[in-house]
Amino acid sequence: MEDKILNEKESLELISQMIRNTQQRLKEGNGKPFLIFGYTTIAISMIVYSLLTLTQSNLSHLAWFGIPVIGFVIMYLSKKNEVKYSKTYIDRIVINIWTVIGASVMFVSIAAIFVRIPVMPLLILLLGIATTLTGLTIRFKPVIFCGVFGMASCVLPYAMNGYNQVLMYAICIFVMMVIPGHILHLKSRK
Amino acid sequence: MFKELNPLLHSELRLAIMSILISVEEADFLYIKEKTGASAGNISVQIEKLSEAGYIRVDKGFVGKRTRTVCSLTESGAKAFAEYVEAIKSYLEVK
Repeated sequence: MEDKILNEKESLELISQMIRNTQQRLKEGNGKPFLIFGYTTIAISMIVYSLLTLTQSNLSHLAWFGIPVIGFVIMYLSKKNEVKYSKTYIDRIVINIWTVIGASVMFVSIAAIFVRIPVMPLLILLLGIATTLTGLTIRFKPVIFCGVFGMASCVLPYAMNGYNQVLMYAICIFVMMVIPGHILHLKSRK
Repeated sequence: MFKELNPLLHSELRLAIMSILISVEEADFLYIKEKTGASAGNISVQIEKLSEAGYIRVDKGFVGKRTRTVCSLTESGAKAFAEYVEAIKSYLEVK
């Protein structure tokens, strides 16, 4: 492409072509946040479960706060290697959804230290809502289904006894975040 | 009566850059280079011209050790682009 003068028809064709080129619903890297936060949550769930069974101390739950720390560090490191960058309006909406829901997850988690609330169902419900909204925004059915599963399964941890609730929570996160993350990753690379 | 075509936008590469930025909120230099297929030197010159006209905003920063130039459309750029499209439409409808 050069700095040449176009006629009117060529100008309109060029505008359409450039807009078409940038319209990707699924961009490479779309699945990355799902995978990073999904696997981090599962790893921390395993740590919390192990600590609870070994020590029987409720202080083990403080390990949950490792999720945002580890998640954001890995996200930052992975962004550093990003070569080409563009942000669309869809990207902004998805970022806003996860910022609002992420903040709500933090508020609920902090509140759970002081008040006895059903924290796991609330977190699964919130993350399910964010996953469903993401799927609807990028118009990708597997993500919508996994998000709806998350919302519907928010009471599943209470079907388990004692510390096994943590394992059920990890399973819900696997279905709700890791599976859509891998599907998104594969689809966006095609 | 034909509307006058904005000479700053009526060039292939500058129009391509503006079209990319109208459909994404912001894009870096390498993204624009990939989508237009133009040379880095040529893109730099055109970005400079669009920036001087106040049509795009150019933010230079770092990602790790690499520099990153991120471009986005300004309000006056979006307005100029809309006027340019309207002008082109008036030409094509009459011809």
